[in-house]
Amino acid sequence: MTMSGQQDPSALRKRINTLERQAGEAKRSIAELRSRDALKTQFLSNISHDLRTPLAAIITHAEILRDGMLGELNPKQKESVTGIVTGGQHLLNMIDEILTYVRTAGDKVSLVRTEFSLADLADQVRMLNEPLAAKKHISIERVNGDDLPPVYLDRDKIQHVLGNLIGNAIKFTNDGGSVWIAFSRRGRDGDEICVEVGDTGRGIAPSNHELVFHEFAQVDASASRPHHGTGLGLAIARKLVELHSGRIWVESQLGKGSRFFFTLPLDPPGD
Amino acid sequence: MPPSARILIVEDSPLVVDAFRILFTEAGYEVDAAATVAEAIERGTTKRPDLMLLDISLPDGSGLEIMTALREHGSLPRATLAMTGHNDSKSRRICLDAGCVDVLIKPVPIGELLRQIERHLA
Repeated sequence: MTMSGQQDPSALRKRINTLERQAGEAKRSIAELRSRDALKTQFLSNISHDLRTPLAAIITHAEILRDGMLGELNPKQKESVTGIVTGGQHLLNMIDEILTYVRTAGDKVSLVRTEFSLADLADQVRMLNEPLAAKKHISIERVNGDDLPPVYLDRDKIQHVLGNLIGNAIKFTNDGGSVWIAFSRRGRDGDEICVEVGDTGRGIAPSNHELVFHEFAQVDASASRPHHGTGLGLAIARKLVELHSGRIWVESQLGKGSRFFFTLPLDPPGD
Repeated sequence: MPPSARILIVEDSPLVVDAFRILFTEAGYEVDAAATVAEAIERGTTKRPDLMLLDISLPDGSGLEIMTALREHGSLPRATLAMTGHNDSKSRRICLDAGCVDVLIKPVPIGELLRQIERHLA
């Protein structure tokens, strides 16, 4: 720029060239980062598949021993082999969670919509989690929902969301506590269903309400934390809810339990 | 259980095949195994199995191709149980449409697997 305020054409051209070069470099960096990210996701997917197969063999071998098919075990042997099965299944669940994350991380996920009852689905997830809850003497109750209209959503994905929320609720609730599922209508003209999964557990500090939905985030990340997991459950839940054009959030305070909510549209957009 | 019913395990992991071989042999079945689509068609047409336990993802193609080939040859087992790594209703539907009697998610708890096999061979 000259002293009189007029622009020097050669300086201006030079400046434009510099900006264009920088923009080109930024584009190349973004493309490279995207490609590395895709590579990382593919690696995570491959390694998870490859871990799954030998683990399946270990679990099957251990079950054969546990069930006495190769001869009866004494009680201590049986307890030890049962530990192999339980540990193996726990590891398998974590691998499956990583695989689900990988599948939902890309933009390729599509919804397979069917008509179903949310209350029936909630009962199904509740029953699947009953054994886990019973071990901690935790009650799981569906408070309402018999009068809800049928929904037209991706049943598998909503089941996954409910499963993650109820699984977490049981995990973070002490012995003798309670977990519940409740439904309400929201939005203009009640065109959204709001699903609540609540518990009487340890609760989450308000400063962590957003963080818990981030990948690999675990609020209690101390080395001694008793609740191991992949740190992906809520990130997956958020992704699956958002795929349905819904929202997910938590209302909670430390020591006062947690209430997770997610909304689902009754009339899905035409996709 | 029918005496010495024959099970064909179609699975590309030798680790998983070894485990199933022990399980089914101990349960009184005759066991055969194949690791690829080509091998499974060869084994299945040479000696028709009573039941096929079918992994869907194989190195040389889809396990469902085996069913088509065995059907054309008139060697389809009485029942085929599909096995897949992940649970989704779309792949389940594809397997059932192809003629599988059920779709099991690997690893199948052995109690459930033996019950299913016994039921479909009855």
